[in-house]
Amino acid sequence: MSKGRIRNNVRRLRFEHSEMTQQQLAERVGVTRQTVIAIEQDKYSPSLEVAFRFALVFGVPLEEVFRYEWTDSESGSAA
Amino acid sequence: MDLSYQEKSILGSLLAMVVVYGYYFTAVLRDASRPEFDGVNVGRLVFAVIAIIVIEIVYHIVLALETKPEPKDERDILIESKAYRNAYFLLAAGAFLVIGCVIMAGLARDAAPTRIVVTPFITVNLVLFFMVVAELVKFLTQLFYYRRGLR
Repeated sequence: MSKGRIRNNVRRLRFEHSEMTQQQLAERVGVTRQTVIAIEQDKYSPSLEVAFRFALVFGVPLEEVFRYEWTDSESGSAA
Repeated sequence: MDLSYQEKSILGSLLAMVVVYGYYFTAVLRDASRPEFDGVNVGRLVFAVIAIIVIEIVYHIVLALETKPEPKDERDILIESKAYRNAYFLLAAGAFLVIGCVIMAGLARDAAPTRIVVTPFITVNLVLFFMVVAELVKFLTQLFYYRRGLR
């Protein structure tokens, strides 16, 4: 059976942007620090609007922040 | 354990409900032979409601001084909606159970003289019990999703 999952590069992008803190990022995106933590730990996938705001803050295309991984759970391989 | 403002707020409300209504329902069950709205029972109910309000206000003032309150964002709202869904199912089940109890007691009374009497006091307390349990389920669901995450 196949299963999809949203992964992200938020942590890497934060460090590439002058080591922005989670609090600073949260304030600029308009979410709580706990939500930034949850996203970085792949415990929460934000709405499309919030995802676009992340991309806007980092000044990169959306797919550079978030990507969709299609996993075949039987073989465990990711596409 | 690093808890957010929302988690601390929920945990405080959960503990307040367990303590206050735990005391209230224990007292009601201890006096089960007197299931009527007399001065003592009404006093207990009023005390429980006032105690919850006072504890919640004091706790949230202290919490706001200690931890900077954060406005709810989309994740908080999503978690809350999942918690309300679970609480709703429990409350609906409880409502059906109370309706069933009242109907069954009525039928039993009509069929033959019986000692099974569902007084207004018992009905009110059954409804209150399921409201409290539904609220506890809401808090526990929220805490669960805050810890486990929404995947």
